[in-house]
Amino acid sequence: MPEMIVKPATLKELWKILPALPPARRYLAGGTDIVVACNGGCESSECWMDISDIPELKTIKETASSLFLGAAVKISDLERSAAVRKWCPALIAAIPYYASPSLRNMATLGGNAGNGSPCADGVCALVAEGASVLLELKGKKRRLPLKDLFLGPKKTALKKDELILGFEVPKRARLGAYQKLSARPYFCISKAAVAVTLEISGGVIKRAGIALGSVAPVPLYAAKTAAWLAGKKLSAVTAAAAAGIVKAEAAPITDARSEADYRREMCGVLLERALVSLVPLAGR
Amino acid sequence: MKQLENTFKLACLVNGKRTELEIDSSRSLLDLIREDLGLKGTKEGCGEGECGACMVLVDGRAVNSCLMMAVQVHGKEMVTIEGIKGKDGGLHPLQKTFIAEGAVQCGFCTPGLIIASEALLRRNPKATLEEIKLELTGNLCRCTGYEKVLSAVEKARGKK
Repeated sequence: MPEMIVKPATLKELWKILPALPPARRYLAGGTDIVVACNGGCESSECWMDISDIPELKTIKETASSLFLGAAVKISDLERSAAVRKWCPALIAAIPYYASPSLRNMATLGGNAGNGSPCADGVCALVAEGASVLLELKGKKRRLPLKDLFLGPKKTALKKDELILGFEVPKRARLGAYQKLSARPYFCISKAAVAVTLEISGGVIKRAGIALGSVAPVPLYAAKTAAWLAGKKLSAVTAAAAAGIVKAEAAPITDARSEADYRREMCGVLLERALVSLVPLAGR
Repeated sequence: MKQLENTFKLACLVNGKRTELEIDSSRSLLDLIREDLGLKGTKEGCGEGECGACMVLVDGRAVNSCLMMAVQVHGKEMVTIEGIKGKDGGLHPLQKTFIAEGAVQCGFCTPGLIIASEALLRRNPKATLEEIKLELTGNLCRCTGYEKVLSAVEKARGKK
């Protein structure tokens, strides 16, 4: 367990108390990653800053062009939000496969992104949605495309003390799908996962967002496959061809969960399934 | 935030009772429940959020208390298995059906299963068998008595 936990009531209070805190410090959101790591033994000199009840981080807000998802919104609250259901189809498709119901009552997208795991279902879906991440350090804000936050397994571009405020998802009408391969269908970390969003007009793909989970050192934005899909008619033939392209973009390894070759092959299969599942919806 | 020292003044509702106590700020929620509050019905199984033996309700939702810190229930309402009762103060309908169906074997997972099932039936009193199965994905029973658990939850639907 950490040495101490502080619980600032607001962001302003967080930045005020920060300089006086012990130098070894981390943010605590839902706890579903860092407490697990800590129960296995963590640095007891650490100070945790509990940001899970800061109101600014718990909002879901719509502007004219985007939807803001606060970093500390619980996954189960995202699932219940009408705005999220409308504007984040890939994220909504991923949520049933995201851990278990009780962990979804605790976990947050901010915690997921900060943890930097390439397997995170919510993050993979958000990358496919074309989300940006909003960051703040002592009152100074910046914004990054979410796909650029990740540098390697558990490595992010976050500076010391920099806090994830939330995510902005563009409000563009699109279809979304999430396909996950794991040892059992629910409550299991993926061997491979594919998140897809498609903006379609007259049966033709205008813009695609493709993200791959568990097959690269980071939640991977499949830029080449997405670019190739733009301008194509959505069909089973297109889906099969896209499957061939995405396999070259994946960069999997062999580990306890699966083997590199199998993961690469299954990326293609999962993308094809995701695209085919959207064909009947494309005309609506 | 009122402290830079290592203690925290915690105030929350526990099983309907207003509870205030000064705790070590790094106390885990499970230790608060079992050691400080003496409510031993909540169990520690895996300590990793996999098994659900430690589930309690916080603001009406099932959570894994082994992965929460005590400070995270500040200002909230918590219900442990000791707070699950029928309207007459006796056994809750889920507790009755668990007994009637023989859904309890060693009993270690039972508090968590009741909590998870109660959270579901509050939200969705007519939950289907499939919805019950999905809701209980985070509860492991190593005696493997799942069928009887499922029928106990089905039989508790609509009972108050």
